[in-house]
Amino acid sequence: MPSPTTTRPRPLSPNIQIYRPQLTSVLSILNRITGVFLSACAVVLVVWLVAAASGSQAYAAVQAAIGSWIGRIVLFGATFAFFLHFCGGIRHLVWDTVHGFELRSIYISGWTVVAASVVLTVAAWVAGALMGG
Amino acid sequence: MIIKSSDQVPRATLLKRFPIPRNFGAAPESRIERGKAWPAADGATRAKTFEIYRYDPDSGENPRLDTFGVDLDDCGPMVLDALIWIKNKVDSTLTFRRSCREGICGSCAMNIDGANWLACTRFISDLAAPATIYPLANLRIIKDLVPDLTHLSAQYAAIEPWLKTKTMEPERERLQSAEERSKIDGYYECILCFCCTSGCPSHWWNGDRFLGPAVLLQAWRWLADSRDEGTGERLDNLEDPFRLYRCHTILNCTRTCPKGLNPGKAIAEIKKMMVERQS
Repeated sequence: MPSPTTTRPRPLSPNIQIYRPQLTSVLSILNRITGVFLSACAVVLVVWLVAAASGSQAYAAVQAAIGSWIGRIVLFGATFAFFLHFCGGIRHLVWDTVHGFELRSIYISGWTVVAASVVLTVAAWVAGALMGG
Repeated sequence: MIIKSSDQVPRATLLKRFPIPRNFGAAPESRIERGKAWPAADGATRAKTFEIYRYDPDSGENPRLDTFGVDLDDCGPMVLDALIWIKNKVDSTLTFRRSCREGICGSCAMNIDGANWLACTRFISDLAAPATIYPLANLRIIKDLVPDLTHLSAQYAAIEPWLKTKTMEPERERLQSAEERSKIDGYYECILCFCCTSGCPSHWWNGDRFLGPAVLLQAWRWLADSRDEGTGERLDNLEDPFRLYRCHTILNCTRTCPKGLNPGKAIAEIKKMMVERQS
């Protein structure tokens, strides 16, 4: 009789299922998610531009969709995603020069990215509202 | 909160683990089932509960999560002491690697409360209630907390971790200035416990081809060594979309290193050296 060890593959120990979420990993996955989301938003941007080029009726339809409640929520999300991805990108650029790798710096720059994204998102919407949006 | 050094245990975490099912994506043989409970004796005044991953290759059963009650008044202060206490007093089949009990051999690396660390240098008093102990993440398990390190050792061998020279052998030792020697500070201290590689999401998804932080830190240790003359071929060997460039600077490695080293920085140094030799 073959022993169970030869017939049965060894189990893989759990990874993502048990590993503690940390600022390091959470910001990394958020950078990935916002990047994917912004790519989708780029398609919406193209749709908006094409609509603007094709005439007032098409433009009005797209503008109405973006101006709806759902549209505004998505647009707000896109603004936040843009700034998070933008600030995270700057953080990565600095890392590429081999600076800011001390654990303390990693955490300070990480929380700075989060705070800056929130501030910039709010500022962008306030500026938009003041400019008559 | 700001983490200043890797040995810092977070005071509070928003999430203990990512919000996905416990056996999310696990192959049938890797699914973890509910195990046995061994509550602390009635006389125990300071009991602490440990949930520990168990796997017995001879049973033909799936891995399971056993619960042990440990009497802290009868047990040493470190997580390794608790494991030895359980093995001595409750279940002698509990299997784990250990040797030096002072954080220099790297044998008792495991996933403690969701992060990789050495059981011998983590205080029980720093653990959550209940404490959870898994083997190092994302490795094939031989038994209980003992992972199969064959693949990681092969990856280490692949970077040829020895001094390579081309010039004539000198009559005496190859000398280094104090400044040259300081270039490998923070890298030569690696004990190859593989806490970092096992905690690296890139290595989880692409570990077959991505070398992982521990091995890349070693690669940098030889690139940074003034006596080594194999720099060109070492870089050629690493110049690959997977071996080196699957590192996306997540930096779970630097967060988890029980020796306080910086694999993330070592990898950035390699990437920089790679760019600099092209210009």
